[in-house]
Amino acid sequence: MTGPTPIRKRSRHVALILAGSATMALAACEDNRVDAQSFPDLESCIAASQENGLWFTEEDCRKNFAAAQQEYLETAPRYASKELCEQEHGAGNCGGDPAAESSAQQGSGGGFSFMPLLVGYMMGSMLSRGGGISSQPMVNTPDGRYSTPKGDQTFASNRGAGKVSGATFQRAPATIGKPPMSAAQVSQRGGFGAGATSRSSGRGVFGG
Amino acid sequence: MDKIDLPERPGWRDEAEKLGFTFADMGGEPYWDETSAYRFSLRQIEEDIEAPSSELHAMCREAVGRAVRDGEWLTRLAIPRPYWDLIEQSWSHGEPELYGRMDLAYDGGGPAKLLEYNADTPTSLYESASFQWLWLEQQQAAGVLGGATDQFNGIHEALVERWAQICTPGEDVHFAADPDNPEDYATVETMAWAAREAGLGAHFTALAKIGLTDQGQFADDQSRVIGTLFKLYPWEDMLRDDFAAHLQSSQTRYIEPPWKAVLSNKGILPLLWQMFPGHPNLLPAFFHADIAEAMTGGSPAPAIAGAFDAARDQLARGHVIKPIFSREGAGVIISENGREVARTEDDSYSHHPLIVQGLAPLPDFGGFHPVLGAWIVGEACAGLGLREDRSRITHNLSRFKPHFIED
Repeated sequence: MTGPTPIRKRSRHVALILAGSATMALAACEDNRVDAQSFPDLESCIAASQENGLWFTEEDCRKNFAAAQQEYLETAPRYASKELCEQEHGAGNCGGDPAAESSAQQGSGGGFSFMPLLVGYMMGSMLSRGGGISSQPMVNTPDGRYSTPKGDQTFASNRGAGKVSGATFQRAPATIGKPPMSAAQVSQRGGFGAGATSRSSGRGVFGG
Repeated sequence: MDKIDLPERPGWRDEAEKLGFTFADMGGEPYWDETSAYRFSLRQIEEDIEAPSSELHAMCREAVGRAVRDGEWLTRLAIPRPYWDLIEQSWSHGEPELYGRMDLAYDGGGPAKLLEYNADTPTSLYESASFQWLWLEQQQAAGVLGGATDQFNGIHEALVERWAQICTPGEDVHFAADPDNPEDYATVETMAWAAREAGLGAHFTALAKIGLTDQGQFADDQSRVIGTLFKLYPWEDMLRDDFAAHLQSSQTRYIEPPWKAVLSNKGILPLLWQMFPGHPNLLPAFFHADIAEAMTGGSPAPAIAGAFDAARDQLARGHVIKPIFSREGAGVIISENGREVARTEDDSYSHHPLIVQGLAPLPDFGGFHPVLGAWIVGEACAGLGLREDRSRITHNLSRFKPHFIED
């Protein structure tokens, strides 16, 4: 007879090595690919869901279209002018910011009132990674392709099925501008680190 | 709980150096000290430290929920008015916390007492989660410790799990700290290893190199936009820096979230005492301004008069005065029976509002006073690290001591 497994209060393994400063820039990991399908609108998704053997239902279409619409409002890039927006998303592919119109102050970053139009959405099956179905809104790129708001994944069409990187379905941060890790024009530096609550001058200890 | 002399691992200093643990000795004094270790029973760990710490964290969350909607409390906590919304929003959106360290007074019997909660920028993570773990494994292998011994140290695995829970797969996280401070950097790097193991992208940027883009977002030292920022830098300083005005509009996600400004503030201690008076793991605590007169014969602020009367004798026997913001014991004064018995020389935080807390005398083990650091990951206690000091005020030259569990 075996007794109960003894309780173990410590990790099975830990990260042991401190490499020191300057070694932390690392390449993105290989990520596994997931089934995905994109649609220009809700109706085409519902039509596709009638086919047998697909991994999504009409209800998935509705739920994820609504989620993509919401996410579009929250994460699609916003621009100060229509010209700027069209430079990034192509002529005729931009419109006003619905969020800015409904609430003049909140969330839209003040003065950034043009957005690429929502031109479809992509759904992905995250079942292999323990999730359900995820979705992302799609907007145009300047060369007539399609991308998610993060802009790091572009696709030739807003219609079709295939395997895409799971990273495609990572939510973009709520943006007024550019997605994380993209290069940006920096106008000033050094605004953090003054340690204002300590009276002693110079660099202090910030942890404790 | 007792303290046991043990042989040191031969060559551990070389190993520490090889592993990058460069501050194992500091200023000629050992920081990592394995000439002895603290031993606990499993019951002490689980019933006296682990469960109460998780409960204290839950109480802290209740206190945050109250303070973020209460202008009077936010004022007392010295949170600048322009950022009340940032803090309230981060709480009402349920932005998840990552980690914290509760400092506890405990002598093996009786309830552990919360001295303070570093819920924002706790360090000593590498020594707690990693080097201490290695010590146990190697001392077991060497036969110095029995095979049935254990350690309360699930910190690394809990961090990996927490990162995976609160981020999307592959999310890029920037880690910002002062690269010239090896202790801070080691904590950040330990954290970044856990994030990478959770499948996230980890990128370091020096805190002072963070920039502001022309679109009002933050960018790292290579001008890449920061989406998620782990900062080993206190919220009370973030909120007073030149870039503070851009914290909200940049739409950055911060770890720890802004509501930690409420928690990692010694003003939370009077609030906890007000909400949970007499809780076995709390010490009576008040704002100095409310009871300063009463301590010398006058009357306390009406709102806390009852609570003060109940604690008056305990505070007279012994109390500690500390600024609501301070690092490494700065500005702490201990008094017993009307006499000041200890004080740190560093008063660089003493211009902030002060709190008064009942004194929980630290136990004495061979001339050293240990303070327990109970690590909270997510919402639960996940491990333990101890520091001890000859002085009664623990500061940054205290020694880190390993511990083990043996029944």
